[in-house]
Amino acid sequence: MNGIKKEKRMSREAILNAVRKNKPESLPLPEIDLGLFEEEINLVETFIDNLKFVGGRAVQLNNMTEIDAEIKKLYPNASKIVSCVKESALGTISINKETEPHGLEDIDLAIIKGELAVAENGAIWVTENDFTIRALPFITNDLVLIVSRNDIYLHMHHVYEAISKRDRTFGVFISGPSKTADIEQCLVVGAHGAISLTVLIV
Amino acid sequence: MAHADEAAIFNKDEAKVDWHDKALWFVRQKRDKSAHKVKGWEELRNYASAIKANVLSNLDSYLLQFEENAQKNGVTVHWAANAEEHNKIVHSILQKHNAKKIVKSKSMLTEECHLNPHLEAHGIEVIDTDLGERIVQLAQEPPSHIVLPAIHKKKEEVDVLFQEHLGTKPCDGDPEYLTAEARKHLRNKFIKADAAITGVNFAIADTGGFVVCTNEGNADMGAHLAKVHIACMGMEKLIPQEKHLGIFLRLLGRSATGQPITTYSSHFNKPEPGKEMHIVIVDNGRTEQLSREDFRASLHCIRCGACMNTCPIYRRSGGHSYKSTIPGPIGSILSPGIDLKKHSSLPFASTLCGSCSDVCPVKINIHEQLYKWRQVIVKDVPQPVVKKTALKMAGSVLANTKMYHFAGKSARFMLKHMPRFVIYSKLNAWGHARDLPEVKNDNFDEWYKKRKKNE
Repeated sequence: MNGIKKEKRMSREAILNAVRKNKPESLPLPEIDLGLFEEEINLVETFIDNLKFVGGRAVQLNNMTEIDAEIKKLYPNASKIVSCVKESALGTISINKETEPHGLEDIDLAIIKGELAVAENGAIWVTENDFTIRALPFITNDLVLIVSRNDIYLHMHHVYEAISKRDRTFGVFISGPSKTADIEQCLVVGAHGAISLTVLIV
Repeated sequence: MAHADEAAIFNKDEAKVDWHDKALWFVRQKRDKSAHKVKGWEELRNYASAIKANVLSNLDSYLLQFEENAQKNGVTVHWAANAEEHNKIVHSILQKHNAKKIVKSKSMLTEECHLNPHLEAHGIEVIDTDLGERIVQLAQEPPSHIVLPAIHKKKEEVDVLFQEHLGTKPCDGDPEYLTAEARKHLRNKFIKADAAITGVNFAIADTGGFVVCTNEGNADMGAHLAKVHIACMGMEKLIPQEKHLGIFLRLLGRSATGQPITTYSSHFNKPEPGKEMHIVIVDNGRTEQLSREDFRASLHCIRCGACMNTCPIYRRSGGHSYKSTIPGPIGSILSPGIDLKKHSSLPFASTLCGSCSDVCPVKINIHEQLYKWRQVIVKDVPQPVVKKTALKMAGSVLANTKMYHFAGKSARFMLKHMPRFVIYSKLNAWGHARDLPEVKNDNFDEWYKKRKKNE
């Protein structure tokens, strides 16, 4: 074991020394001028257009009280539902930090609150805090994300500013349902993750 | 075999080559549409290039910073000088957990290190979970494209493969059905996996986190279900700060497939309680490439594949003709750095049109590097006699006005009057698949002089 550990340390030193020897003279890290990327556009409309482009569906609601009726309408056959949103009473399966993710394999629907949305690419940012079990948004058959219309940002630069203070565990941008075009470039929705994505904008 | 000979094999099936060519050009067009929608696209490319240049010039300190922060997050960091050490490290982690069933999402690095055969030789099952990669794994072939691994396969071939290996019904290559069957097959593998291996798209020095991008969700299905997650990264994947992801994630998906971003951009920072997360940082020739002033910018690459989709040679010769893990223009500047002799024909697999450099999201001067490799290669690697002699002759003819005029005149005379079988003899390599232009009366020089006279 000692031998392996020593070898490990040696590679680390050897790599770092090789880098020091071979790297060019230090070049500056550029300051990013965000002014170059600013645009006056309708954030909600742009987000919805881009979400459609990536295969997702957007529904605009007036109030959080409307979400359950809308979800029932869109997914009438869903019975095994995990809701991570306190405003939704549709959950039939409750989860907590100790839930074994493999047991969620046959979940029909997960309902998760998105922290923010990105207009330029139709993506929603969600973190472990929002869905408790990391596998949930991927293993569920269908996915509903709920986002406030006030939390839609123009582009990724603003988004990274907005999430810079978070507790970093696991987070993901989700842009549309899982998809693949690996067979002759034919787009097929529903590869390994959720087969459909609905975003409720409230 | 040289690239041209390998390409000749791919070109035997003309209909397939045409399809391949058009399919990839279509992806290139989608890239254009998507890029043109972004305000400040060129500035994004400039920033990305400058950030990567800064990373390479401070790589040692960024690596140390990344290691320190990742360790603080409870992630174990390993260092591998070469492919062999990388494979040993991965295997030792799996051994420690007695892991026998592994799911792996796309990682060109593990392809480069030939990780799968190493693990399989130790009795470990490795399943590639990206659909395209699963297809080529079943066919026992390497990927032919870094983003579209099975782009060389027709759907009917996938149909036959799946019938044989997954027991699917014949379906005339119906992509919906085949994808649904692959989903079922791979779900089962995800559920049963002991450990998950993923690649790394970006590793962030100032947080110790890393980002993995997929469209299928396979990296996440693997990593969040298994007890152990091993992420393998080439050392050049580092970026200084998390906010720089704003630049790179805007560029990556658009350059790759024309999507505004990949479906899933997963940010891993800490392992879940009770689980393990490992990162293997790999050199495998990268520090050597770093020493080459003319070629080090090749390490900027973020593996989007845009240079392949646009390359007139790649589109018509297929990824396998390059016989290197990374094919296409970028592969042709990376591979000679690893084995100059083996890959000496690759920098010649280019028209030097420069389209690769134009679409590169991190502004690598790919076509210039191809040209520079050619100069290294003709000095260091013996060239075919025919090519050498022909170029020498061309050189002396082009350097001498009288000879040039004489050669031009005789060529025009021959083209006009010699029988076809003489002109299209074996010596005329250009004419194998093409007709030479029809000779009209004078050449430009003669035409110009006559015109002057008549003025």
